Amino acid sequence: LLEAVWLSLAPEHTRDKTGNLALGNLVQSLLDMGFSHTQVVQLFNLQPRLAPQQRLAVASELMLLGLYPNSVLHVLQRSPNVLRMSVKQLKDRGERLRQLGLSEGHLKHVVSRCPPIFTLPGKKIDATVRLFKEKCLFTMDQVMEILRSCPNVLLKEPSDLEYKFQYAFFRMGVKHKDVVKSGFFRAPFTVIRSRHVFLERRGLYQTPDKKGQTQVINAKLKEIIWLSDKDFLAQLACASLEEYDVFKKLLAREEEEEEEEDRDSEDE
Amino acid sequence: MNYGMQFGPLWPSARVSLLSEPKYGALVNNFSWGGDVVRDLQGLRAADFIYAAQNGPAGAEGPAPLSPNIQCYTFPKGDICRFPPARPDTVGILGYYLMDAASLLPVLALNVQPGQLVLDLCAAPGGKTLALLQTGCCRHLTAKDISVSRIKRLHGILHSYLPKAARDNVSVSVEDGSNWEQVERDVFDRVLVDVPCTTDRHSVMEHDNNLFTRVRKKERQQLPMLQMQLLVAGILAAKPGGEVVYSTCTLSQLQNEYIVESAIKMAETQFSIDVHVEDLSCFRRLFQDTFSFYAECRVGELVLPHLTANFGPTYFCKLRRAQH
Ligand SMILES: C[S@@+](CC[C@H](N)C(=O)[O-])C[C@H]1O[C@@H](n2cnc3c(N)ncnc32)[C@H](O)[C@@H]1O
Repeated sequence: LLEAVWLSLAPEHTRDKTGNLALGNLVQSLLDMGFSHTQVVQLFNLQPRLAPQQRLAVASELMLLGLYPNSVLHVLQRSPNVLRMSVKQLKDRGERLRQLGLSEGHLKHVVSRCPPIFTLPGKKIDATVRLFKEKCLFTMDQVMEILRSCPNVLLKEPSDLEYKFQYAFFRMGVKHKDVVKSGFFRAPFTVIRSRHVFLERRGLYQTPDKKGQTQVINAKLKEIIWLSDKDFLAQLACASLEEYDVFKKLLAREEEEEEEEDRDSEDE
Repeated sequence: MNYGMQFGPLWPSARVSLLSEPKYGALVNNFSWGGDVVRDLQGLRAADFIYAAQNGPAGAEGPAPLSPNIQCYTFPKGDICRFPPARPDTVGILGYYLMDAASLLPVLALNVQPGQLVLDLCAAPGGKTLALLQTGCCRHLTAKDISVSRIKRLHGILHSYLPKAARDNVSVSVEDGSNWEQVERDVFDRVLVDVPCTTDRHSVMEHDNNLFTRVRKKERQQLPMLQMQLLVAGILAAKPGGEVVYSTCTLSQLQNEYIVESAIKMAETQFSIDVHVEDLSCFRRLFQDTFSFYAECRVGELVLPHLTANFGPTYFCKLRRAQH
């Protein structure tokens, strides 16, 4: 193992033969923390120029935040800059995430969906949280729930998130609590929109009126979003795949042309 | 009136189609000298659905009673391509006319034969008039419409699609076709009565219950009456033994089967004219690859729009006036 690790190091770290002993200790610590031999080698294969000691420091810090070795590796592979962060920076970010309700148990889940969570600028996180609270009027508990279940929102443009929320709230008439429960923000917008408009044009979905009433029983947001195409068509839309395929093409073209029109009228 | 009840499980598919982009067919202009019109259309991978139907398995049952020489190209089922605008030939005549391909079914059903006198009672803006002329069979075609502005459009189409010589045996006039006193009686071999109707494509709105709120209410109430008067006028204008096709672009039973049945009764009681409904069920077999037919009409045939073939709605029913 030591041999393999040694080979993966950049020349500047192997020049000094006495380093061999230190390296041995370092590898042992990683094994003690639960890293397997392969994982240790993988860890050292990342950014060979980086000092061996730094790897241990970052890995230990991430484990303190509640990650397991496989999640640690996942983060480091997908978001290499984390390896260059100082212990202090990591601690601060850990604290911030804890405040947002993303501690131990949830963090594993979150980093798998949003590996850059540690390197994301703090401002970006704040902006997303502010958008949900101030523009979309979610409660802080709901915001935390969204971050836990859909951490990818942290990577999105706030204006896109706002538009997506408004679509669910105004166009589909879905309440805040159902938006949160359904994992809405994890679903691709084109899928949501084409399924909703398809149902609507088939007469099977209605935007509730001012009193919140509809003449048909709307399907739950969760089902609209997460059923497979096959089940969506069989259970909700009662349509053939052929019809739905043509519909998606037509809707995409409608949308494209609307955008063109908007652009043209802006030009005038 | 609730289409959900009328069409049951077929309604959602029709509804989403009405609210989505319709499909067009390219009616080939046989008067154009371009020569390569057909080649261009084939190059787009469109096919003449009328030719295909007659030469397909359903066509093998023997020649169908169709108006001849009409060619209309459409894209295959499920294909959402559009035709480019038609180009003029060397003398400025356009090569094809874009229209709802299902609108040709009433014209095909009229089964115009060489040398016949034909009346197009509600002709403007003229898509079906143009199709009738493509048959090359009309000894004379009389086209009427009540609307001055729409008649102007009809003239425009005739000018863009017909050389002067071909326009000579067409007479166009602004007239109220429902006026029984004025119609020439017992004259025409073939009469097309393509009545004004509620256009479902524009009126299906968010809620089925206010399906027609957008249409002015007074007009709506008078519409069935007008439709029946027009059809009776068409029957009166036909020769004994002549054939009349009634058509609409609505799914509404009240404006379709019900009008046909009332007009037949009316012709009998008021004018002692016997009229028979001709069976057009062969159309359903013949054109099943291009259109989605509704098989349950009491009389006549109805094309329901379907996303994979978003043509229609078109209702058509053929009547034959008894010999005496
Ligand atoms: C469905 S459109 C006809 C479309 C036409 N056949 C075509 O294929 O282009 C119905 C027409 O009936 C005309 N119309 C309405 N009332 C009429 C009347 N009393 N007499 C004659 N035409 C009438 C309208 O002006 C309208 O142009």
